[in-house]
Amino acid sequence: MSSEIQQGTAAKNAPQAIDVGRLEKELAASWQSAGGAEESGVTRVCVLNLIIYATREEDRAQRDELLDVVTAHTPARALVLVADREATEAKLEAYVSPLCQEESRGGAKRVCGEQVTIEASGASVETAASALEPLVVPDVPVFLWWKDIPHGEDKLFNRLVELSDRVVIDSLVFDQPHEDMQQLARIIGTHRQYLLASDLNWGRLTSWRNLVASFWDVADYRPHLDALDDVLIEYDPPDAAPDEIAAQALLLIGWMAAELKWQPTGELVREGKSARWVLQAGEGRKINVEFRPAEDRHGCDGLIATLTLKTAATDAEFYVGVNEEWTKLETSAKIGDARSVGRVVSYEAKSEGERLSRELSMLSRDEVYERAVASIARLLEVLQKS
Amino acid sequence: MRAGVRLERTAEPCVVVIFGATGDLTKRKLVPALYRLVQERLVPAEFAIVGAARTELSSEEFRANMKEAIVQFSEAKSVDEEVWESFAQGLHYQKVDIGTSEDYVKLAELLERIDGERGTQGNRVFYLSTAPSLYAEAVKQLGQSGLAKPKEGQKGWVRVIIEKPFGTDLASAQALNRDIHQHLDESQIYRIDHYLGKETVQNLLVFRFANGIYEPLWNRQYIDHVQITNAETVGVEGRGGYYEKAGVVRDMLQNHVFQVLSLVAMEPPASLNSESVRDEKIKAMTSVRPFTPERIRAECVRGQYGAGSINGKQVPGYREEEGVAPDSATETFAMLTMYFDNWRWSGVPFYIRSGKRLAKRVTEIAIQFKDAPHKLFGSEMMEQMTPNQLIIRVQPDEGITMRVAAKVPGQVTRIRDVNMDFRYGASFGMQLAEAYERLLLDCILGDPTLYARTDMTERGWEIVMPILEEWAATKSEAPFPNYEAGTWGPQATHDLLEQAGRRWRRP
Repeated sequence: MSSEIQQGTAAKNAPQAIDVGRLEKELAASWQSAGGAEESGVTRVCVLNLIIYATREEDRAQRDELLDVVTAHTPARALVLVADREATEAKLEAYVSPLCQEESRGGAKRVCGEQVTIEASGASVETAASALEPLVVPDVPVFLWWKDIPHGEDKLFNRLVELSDRVVIDSLVFDQPHEDMQQLARIIGTHRQYLLASDLNWGRLTSWRNLVASFWDVADYRPHLDALDDVLIEYDPPDAAPDEIAAQALLLIGWMAAELKWQPTGELVREGKSARWVLQAGEGRKINVEFRPAEDRHGCDGLIATLTLKTAATDAEFYVGVNEEWTKLETSAKIGDARSVGRVVSYEAKSEGERLSRELSMLSRDEVYERAVASIARLLEVLQKS
Repeated sequence: MRAGVRLERTAEPCVVVIFGATGDLTKRKLVPALYRLVQERLVPAEFAIVGAARTELSSEEFRANMKEAIVQFSEAKSVDEEVWESFAQGLHYQKVDIGTSEDYVKLAELLERIDGERGTQGNRVFYLSTAPSLYAEAVKQLGQSGLAKPKEGQKGWVRVIIEKPFGTDLASAQALNRDIHQHLDESQIYRIDHYLGKETVQNLLVFRFANGIYEPLWNRQYIDHVQITNAETVGVEGRGGYYEKAGVVRDMLQNHVFQVLSLVAMEPPASLNSESVRDEKIKAMTSVRPFTPERIRAECVRGQYGAGSINGKQVPGYREEEGVAPDSATETFAMLTMYFDNWRWSGVPFYIRSGKRLAKRVTEIAIQFKDAPHKLFGSEMMEQMTPNQLIIRVQPDEGITMRVAAKVPGQVTRIRDVNMDFRYGASFGMQLAEAYERLLLDCILGDPTLYARTDMTERGWEIVMPILEEWAATKSEAPFPNYEAGTWGPQATHDLLEQAGRRWRRP
């Protein structure tokens, strides 16, 4: 094991390009040398395979940092595929390195996983999945973290999805949220038989959904749920698509529409930078949904700032919002002239690595997420047709 | 005297004669394996090797070639010069044309000379690493030249190792058996199947019969089904001409895979002597349900690879390979659903697949147990719904894995599969012997347990003949190519399991 590893965090050897077919032998050899180099030794652990698809432009140091975080929670075999699709030369290179936890616990052996990086360029990108597949450790789950916008026609994406038990994306990076969200719904629908999907952006909504749902845990508030007729979502518009509704805002309304059985009517009103959709509940009640760029919240590209739910019939208002520093979530509930009841809770500002680690602990199907995505796609489709 | 020297088995002095000594197998496997046996002191000093082939070569040239081969193909990628010098002294070459009687006279003279010089005591192993069509002729010539039996009045022994394929169908296998039995007793014949030399395959016997906990579960009461996967990533590698006549059923299934299958399905033998083990294996294979045309259509799948990618590289389809007909109907993939009609296995399907140009090189046996009888934990707690599995990995990375459900730590009950793993490399920290090392040593020691007996080779052919005949009769209907290189075979194999509510595991 290299001196870098003995020092702790940067548990990666200098890349050494090797033949793909010889990777396993290289790994075995690196473990044999690793065992002897550290006084307390290391334990090789692999609880899952993590395939990471990343583009050439992505910052390697950032990715390594993220893998350190993931390894601390989940020792894994990370199979990193770095793709350069624009290159004219077809090239495929691979190198291996151990991936160790920063500290050993109580003098015990340090737990290490391993990383195999495959750099593919040009035409080799399309065939890279066949280089990855033999490297997948059997009998442990395979997660694919697709660090890009997924496209159903992408052969590489489809091969990697077939290889994986769960696909993790981050809809926050969608540069055309409307089109990309519909695309995502099609992918989930097409591969539903074997595809389980996770979305880091959906994970960011967990606190929001929890707080919204908790309003209706209060028996006195419950009747107002069936009277909701006004929804306002304020968000920091994504720089890549300032004129489109941010993916996170779409997910939030998709979730509410799916769970509360709200249907699209096709009515869409644009007022400046805001957009207003009209949805309809089962009993014919109309719900105005307004998406509004938050004027005073910046620096959190594509994230929601506030959610306000109102009922005209019962004069109720339910509010969830993030503070200006994006550190706390505030809630309030007000019925008629009564005093507003509220609370402040911590906003989970987790790093990407922590969010990913959390997704890697999930293996069951997230039916609620799938329903939310399908619901958004339906809403967008009806709006496009109208 | 041998007490405490930690060598369980000691070999007698002998000469190993390799027919086909200039071929690939000799270079890649046989001589490196024999070198290791010498290096590991598993054969005595009174040991010699004679390479025999049609090519004119001096012993010196043969030694130089073999030294190069050991460096290139042995695990160590080097030779120990002192060990090599000693090994090379016993390494000889004799030009032998298989059909020429005079050559056997010269060979006999050389062997006699070696007996005198190295004390090999008239003990002989003849290894037939020639074209299969020459097996019968080689044995006939050995018989007629007097080499097939020890010299009169001598105590030595003669054994003949025969490489696969043993026949190309049932009739040819029976004919070959008849021919060689004219000159050799069954006890002299060692039909080699190198899969049986692999540690994990041998460990199957230990695993099943040295542990008290598995055998009670090893039956229809607890096992839902068995999957055996034998996957290669390579194509025909320039052997298109041979493969066109063979196909995967002849090349892999009826020999390697059936040997492994018989070890999984057999009853416990009364003892570990070779006849007891082989009796139980043939008994199990005798109970295999015959394949009818209806069963073949419904429960078997044939495939042929088209172009695709392996290890990141584009590869051509089978029909574009050298020596292969552009409209070839030869199968490069086969999947069979097999049943053993006996008390132990009644109703338990054994799904077997073997193919070329698949996604990964792997051979494994997966025993899938039945679900727990009562689902105490709801589906919301079960993150993975896989029933218990026992996976026996034959190659590469030999080992055994048991999958069991466990609670994920935390305040709520979430259940996930975890693996209890045993890996040879990690557990014993030693380099595993090559299969050929073990098998050659067994032959020298006179232990045929891991070699195929006459009845087993013929039974293998009996089982597959209806499939070969049905597929030959319907070759125009074969939808070839029907799988992309680098995948796990035709979609029909996945559909077939899915219809039964099962799925192939990803090895």
